[in-house]
Amino acid sequence: MIGYENVLTTCPYCGTGCALHLEVMDNNLVGVLPAKNHVVSQGSLCIKGWNVHAFVNHPDRLKTPLIRKDGVLEEATWDEALKLVADKLAAIKAESGPDSVAFLTSAKCTNEENYLVQKLARAVIGTNNVDHCGRL
Amino acid sequence: MSEPKIIGFLCNWCSYRGADAAGMARMKYPPNVKIIRVPCSGRISPELVLRSLREGADGVMVLGCHIGDCHYATGNHRTAKRMPVLKKLLEYAGIDPERLHINWVSAAEGERFATVMKDFTEKISALPPFVETMR
Amino acid sequence: MTARVTALREVIEKVLPEVDGVLALRSGPGGIVAPYLFGKEHPEELAKLAIWPKEPVPEPLKVILRAHPDAKLAIVCRGCEERGIVELFKHAQLSLNNVTLIGLQCERSEAEFCRCAKPFTVHAKTFVGEPLEGVTDSLTERIAAMSQPEKLAFWKDEFEHCIKCYGCRTICPQCFCNVCALEDETWVETGRLPMPNPSMYHLVRAMHMTAKCVACRECEETCPADIPMAVHFRLMARDVKEMFKYEPGAVMEQKPPQLLVLEEGEYERTGLPH
Repeated sequence: MIGYENVLTTCPYCGTGCALHLEVMDNNLVGVLPAKNHVVSQGSLCIKGWNVHAFVNHPDRLKTPLIRKDGVLEEATWDEALKLVADKLAAIKAESGPDSVAFLTSAKCTNEENYLVQKLARAVIGTNNVDHCGRL
Repeated sequence: MSEPKIIGFLCNWCSYRGADAAGMARMKYPPNVKIIRVPCSGRISPELVLRSLREGADGVMVLGCHIGDCHYATGNHRTAKRMPVLKKLLEYAGIDPERLHINWVSAAEGERFATVMKDFTEKISALPPFVETMR
Repeated sequence: MTARVTALREVIEKVLPEVDGVLALRSGPGGIVAPYLFGKEHPEELAKLAIWPKEPVPEPLKVILRAHPDAKLAIVCRGCEERGIVELFKHAQLSLNNVTLIGLQCERSEAEFCRCAKPFTVHAKTFVGEPLEGVTDSLTERIAAMSQPEKLAFWKDEFEHCIKCYGCRTICPQCFCNVCALEDETWVETGRLPMPNPSMYHLVRAMHMTAKCVACRECEETCPADIPMAVHFRLMARDVKEMFKYEPGAVMEQKPPQLLVLEEGEYERTGLPH
């Protein structure tokens, strides 16, 4: 059984939304093929788009949350990590006020995820300090 | 231009010894060529020539053994195949192909070596500096 | 479905039961075309067979054969794609023992789109369509006729639009090197745009395409800046043909000149000093 497939998807990197095909050989990601007759990308990609397949199974990808203990990053559970972040944000807000916190989000996130970040910033913490990586 | 900068890639077994022969016989030729010794002219990839130009050389020479006399039997065959194609590419890119000179000089040809140096230096001196043409 | 696609479908349906898969183009979700491996288990999928826009199919063939060296495959290929497959075979990137070539001849409009001199297959025993004569490449002729300063200005302007996406290199069916010279900082500076003049990336690439480019034009089609870099490759292909009597993908038994020593009479045609 030969498992060769080209899976049409959208590049996750920026807001342009270029379409591309992930080339899959027997369940392994082997490369990227552009989508020639797609209205946005028209068969072109930038260097990040050409290499989207590379990060999916990269050994450096995080698999669990990591918390720095005594200067060393150690694996932690989601509960531990979220509790730490919530406790610290609450403490900073209480001590230095809501505008001492800023939120930096990403063009790689979905619109829905970015909506949640600004909701967290404005409604939960009480600050307008929200920006994203595309402005850097 | 008054003082052209020329890079000369010379093969260890023929052309570099030819340069030595010219030197030992105290022959005069212009000092503008900076000589780089390589084991064989076949080692000279197009990338090396292009990088030399990119770094500001006004001319590049690739000198090897005569065809049939290569120390590695057929190393200079690679030179004879790659370098003419590179010359054509330079022409298509709008760069004067005369800035690249390929020749064969044997270890005994000291006088000929001096002539080749003199002729090429004169030719490059008549051209504008390479970096100016690229502005 | 046009008559041409129907005719191609009929040819594929005849071959399908005898092979493990037929590599052709399929119109996928949203009508986006991509290479697809049609199998005998689902012949009804051929309803989605497509032929335009063309895709660089030699690369998927190489990928499949690397994973399944004994697979019996058929592949639908145009003239340029067939040449690409033959060149990959000559460079030991795939084996043609179990591969059936199904030729697809290009129509006039397609040949003109690619400015193609040979829009037909020569090796495929079965093919669909009538082989047409080539078209003159007017863009290449126009650029070749420019004066030296005009050429310099033209290419400086073109290469300045390059965003170094490396698309031309990645899509090229002939590029298979595991370690690419263009990713070597010794030759191509990193972190620098626009390209310097002369553009090391483009000139080094042109040299590496010598006696390999099969004029499929995928590089130009994928370029986001519409740089006509194939013009360099085609001009040099003429010199390779004249000096070494070699055309990539034309003759199966002819070895590429970069793998051989000088043949009889070649030296005289290089223009080097005697």
